[in-house]
Amino acid sequence: MNIGEFIKDKTGIILSNMLLFIMLVVLLVTADIETVIIFFVFCIWFLPLISYMVVEFIKCKKYYDEINSILENLDKKYILPELIKEANFIHGEKLNYILKQVSRDMHENVKYFKGMQTDYREYIETWVHEIKTPIASTKLLIENNQNEVTNKIDYQIDKINGFVEQVLYYSRSNTVNKDYIIKHINLSNVVRNVVKRNYRDFIHKKIKLDIKNIEEMVYSDGKWTEFIINQIIGNSIKYSNNKNPMINIYSVKKANSVMLTIEDNGIGIIDKDINSVFQKGFTGENGRKISQSTGMGLYLCEKLCCKLGLKISIDSGVNKGTKVTLIFPLSGMAVFTEG
Amino acid sequence: MEKIILIEDDKVIREELQNFLKRYGYIVNAPIDFNNIIGYIENENADLILLDINLPVFDGYYICREIRKISDIPIIIVTSRDSEVDELMSMNLGADDFITKPYNTDILLARIMNILKRTYGSLKTNNILSYKDINLDLSNATVKYKDKSLELTKNEVKILSYLINNKGSIVKRDSLMEYLWKSDYFVDDSTLTVNVNRLRKKLGEIGIEDIIETRRGLGYIMP
Repeated sequence: MNIGEFIKDKTGIILSNMLLFIMLVVLLVTADIETVIIFFVFCIWFLPLISYMVVEFIKCKKYYDEINSILENLDKKYILPELIKEANFIHGEKLNYILKQVSRDMHENVKYFKGMQTDYREYIETWVHEIKTPIASTKLLIENNQNEVTNKIDYQIDKINGFVEQVLYYSRSNTVNKDYIIKHINLSNVVRNVVKRNYRDFIHKKIKLDIKNIEEMVYSDGKWTEFIINQIIGNSIKYSNNKNPMINIYSVKKANSVMLTIEDNGIGIIDKDINSVFQKGFTGENGRKISQSTGMGLYLCEKLCCKLGLKISIDSGVNKGTKVTLIFPLSGMAVFTEG
Repeated sequence: MEKIILIEDDKVIREELQNFLKRYGYIVNAPIDFNNIIGYIENENADLILLDINLPVFDGYYICREIRKISDIPIIIVTSRDSEVDELMSMNLGADDFITKPYNTDILLARIMNILKRTYGSLKTNNILSYKDINLDLSNATVKYKDKSLELTKNEVKILSYLINNKGSIVKRDSLMEYLWKSDYFVDDSTLTVNVNRLRKKLGEIGIEDIIETRRGLGYIMP
C-alpha cells in the first residue's frame, strides 16, 4: 500500500472536510473575521484530522507490508494465516480472525477430498486384485480346454489383463506412496518377459524382432520397468507398418547410465504431435487413424519413469518409425561397490 | 509321484488347477475347509504347497509362517498382489517362490518342477522323449538313434520335442512358433524354416531320414 492509494481511499472524508471548511471560511469572511483567526480555526480543524490519518496510514502500511513480505517468500501461499503476526488494531485483528477461520475450513475441505481420493485408490487396488481371480480362472479354463476358439478368447483375456494393469499403475502413479523397490535387475530378463507377453502379435503381424546387447544390469523396480517397456512395445506393435514391420531393441552402456532403445519402422508421429505425446489423454493424428488409443500409455510411462528416476525420450518422423529411449542412471558408487 | 497341496478358496481356480496339475502327473489335494488348515497340512505329508494369500479364516501369510514353525516343505505363494513389496514379504515369511495371478501355466509348471528338483533331487523326472527308435535326451540335448548320437542346439531341441509331443498330428507353423516364443526363442517365419531344414539335415547325418514332413499350407508332422 502506498500513500496515493491511501489518499484515494480517504478522498470522501478529505473532500467533505475541505468543502465544509470552505463554506465556513466564506461565512467567516463575510462576518469580517480576521485572517489569523481563520488560520487558527484551520489548524484546530485539520491538525487532528491529518495526524489521525497519518497514524492510520502507518498502521495499515505496516500490517499490509508484513503480509506482502510473508506472501512473497511463501511457496504455498495458503498457509499465510498460520504465519501472520498478531495485529494491534481492530481491523487487523478482525481480518486475521476471518483469515484463520477460512483457512481452517479450507483445510477441512481439502482433508475431505484427500480422504475420498485415498478411498478411491484403495478401492481400485482391491478391485484390480479381485478381477485378477476371474481372469486367472478363465485362463486356467482355457488352458484345460485348448482349441481354436479358446485360443482367441485367451488373446482377448490377455488384452483385458493389460488394461487392468494400466488401471493399477495409473492409481499408483498418482500417489506419494512408495510401493516399489529399486533392485539390481537384468534388463534382458525384463525385455524378454515383455516380448513373451506380446508373442501373438509378433507372430501374427509377422513383426521381425531384433534384440541386441541388452545383457545389462540396471537399478530399478522390475515390475514397474516391465510395465513401462510393455507400453512402449505395445505402441510399436499397434502403430506398426504393414510392410516388413520390424522392432529393434538394443542398449548402450555409458559411463553413468544405460540407455535402452526400442525402435520400430512403423507409421511414426507427426512433428506437431511429438511434443504432446506424454500428455494425459493425448491421442493426436495417429489416435484418429487407429481407434484404440486412450492417450494413457506414454503419459503413464513418463510419470512412472519420473518416480523411478529414469528418463524417457522419444524421437519420430511420419513413416520413418519411432524410437523410444529409456535411460537408467548408474551411480558411480553403486558400480564401485559392485566391483 | 509328487503330492501337492493346493490351498485356494476360489472354486474354479481350485478345480481347474487341480485338473491341470493332474495332467502333468502330480497328485493334487485341495482342502475345501479352511478352519484347520495347519492340521490338514501336517497330516497330508505332501511334497509341495501352492498357497493363495487372500483366504477365509487365516490369510496366506499367517499360514506360511505357521507351516515354517513345523516343517520345511517347499511353499509357492500364488497371489494377485503383484508388487515387489508383496514378493519380498512372502520371501521373508519363508516362502520358496512367488507367482502372480493370472499365471502363465508354463511358468507355474517350471517353477514347481524346479523347486521339487532342488528339494528332493531329480531322481523322479523323466527327461527322455522317444519317437520310434529315436530317443531325445532333454537333459543333455542329444539324439540317440541305433548306436549313433548327435548333439542339438537348444532351439533344435525345442522344435523336436514339440513335434514329438504332438506326434501323429499336424503341428501348425503358428502353434510351433507360439511355443518357441513362449520358451524364450523369438523366431520369425523364415528363420523357422531354416531351423527345421537344418534339423532335418543334422538328423539325416546319423541316418534318420524323413521323420519331419511338411504339409504345405498347414505345418509339420511327425507321422
